[in-house]
Amino acid sequence: MKITICIGSSCHLKGSKDVVEGLQQLIKANDLSDQIELSGAFCMGNCVNGVSVKIDEELFNVQPSTTKSFFEQEVLTRL
Amino acid sequence: MRNNNLCTEIGYNSLIKYGEQLCGDHIEIVEPDGGNSTVMVLADGLGSGVKANILSTLTSKIISTMMANNLSLEDCVSTIAATLPVCEERGVAYSTFTIIHVLENHEAEIIQYDNPHVIMLRDGKNYRYPQTIMEMDGKTIYRAKVTLQENDVFIAMSDGAIHAGVGMLLNFGWERKDIIDFMETMYDKEFTAKTLTTILLAECNRLYDNKPGDDTTVCTVKIRMRKPVNLLIGPPSNPDDLNKMMSLFFSKKGKHIVCGGTTTTLAAKFLGKEIQMGIPEYLDPEIPPICKVDRIDLATEGVITINKVLSYAQDYLKDNDSYKEWSYKKDGASLIARQLFEVATDINFYVGRAVNPAHQNPNLPINFNIKMRLIDELSACLKQMGKRIKVSYF
Repeated sequence: MKITICIGSSCHLKGSKDVVEGLQQLIKANDLSDQIELSGAFCMGNCVNGVSVKIDEELFNVQPSTTKSFFEQEVLTRL
Repeated sequence: MRNNNLCTEIGYNSLIKYGEQLCGDHIEIVEPDGGNSTVMVLADGLGSGVKANILSTLTSKIISTMMANNLSLEDCVSTIAATLPVCEERGVAYSTFTIIHVLENHEAEIIQYDNPHVIMLRDGKNYRYPQTIMEMDGKTIYRAKVTLQENDVFIAMSDGAIHAGVGMLLNFGWERKDIIDFMETMYDKEFTAKTLTTILLAECNRLYDNKPGDDTTVCTVKIRMRKPVNLLIGPPSNPDDLNKMMSLFFSKKGKHIVCGGTTTTLAAKFLGKEIQMGIPEYLDPEIPPICKVDRIDLATEGVITINKVLSYAQDYLKDNDSYKEWSYKKDGASLIARQLFEVATDINFYVGRAVNPAHQNPNLPINFNIKMRLIDELSACLKQMGKRIKVSYF
């Protein structure tokens, strides 16, 4: 599975960094580094709703505060 | 005109005497001859405060204007003597001066009256230039002519520099030869004139225990090769102009910096290269990560990064305090700052005026006007640093 996080200007201001770091921690804590590839990406054209995150080609909106529930509800269930 | 591809870079700053609001030293720079020659005058007015400030301002303005118009030194000196107001307490009209006149980036003439003698570093080592002594209106004036080489550095200073520390951290201050030792030790050929000035003034301020006993001014003149740096930001307003903009940009000599995610994507596509991003690395939490693209020397995010570069530029022109951040950090803004402030002498901006549809929302803190304003302000700052700036809009 590939998770891509937008690090464009708008998403950056909305907390891309916290989302990236949150997901990195969660992946490590769940020992999933072999199964999940994490990567940054430029603008996904969805600035208003950011932070934009894609699981493979599917687009989601995540905030730093919702990173954990996103991980549990969307990431873990897809593995 | 000689075309040796050398240019003159000047960086200066002053410490103001503790308790005073005005500096009694003054620096004036003019570039006659279409910018191919430079006249720098450092004047130190008698006393301190308002009176000294007026004396030094008049002296440096008169000399620089007259020299730039090819009037003789004798005329300059007699004009000053006839013009300066006489100090009531001391009965004299007095301001010392140092003149560095760089002719067509080929030869420097150094003329000094009563200031500490200009220190010249060639390849980082003290270079003793031969001087002739002449008397003019009862003043002893030293003159020297030096044929220039790349990386020659001239450090002019007011006597506040050699008095630093008198009766405080040092008994007798430090002497010119101590300053030479210090600057030889600190010298790095990558340092700009402004950086060398900042290093010396910081040491003077330390010796003064942050309470300068005299106005202290340092002006560094550095002879260096011209170096172009090109910066592309924003896609063109008309998508049909994209190839034109990209081919003009990438055909330019020098480093190529691309700012903005969408812009980088388009540039990579034009070059037929992949963007290598990986897991974003946050070297500075405020600044979005950079990415790698072959043939692009540096690819960064746009508005937030440039905004930070602008604040570094504004500080550079004041006390240059943030030098200790951008001079070593590896985030996008620090990397751009080093390229623009230190490496470049000529900067070509390629600015695309496309409006990012994703940013056109009142709920977002970014908009088109901010981007245009940032580039305007940044190029104004870089001009003040003495860079040659060209901005092309698409």
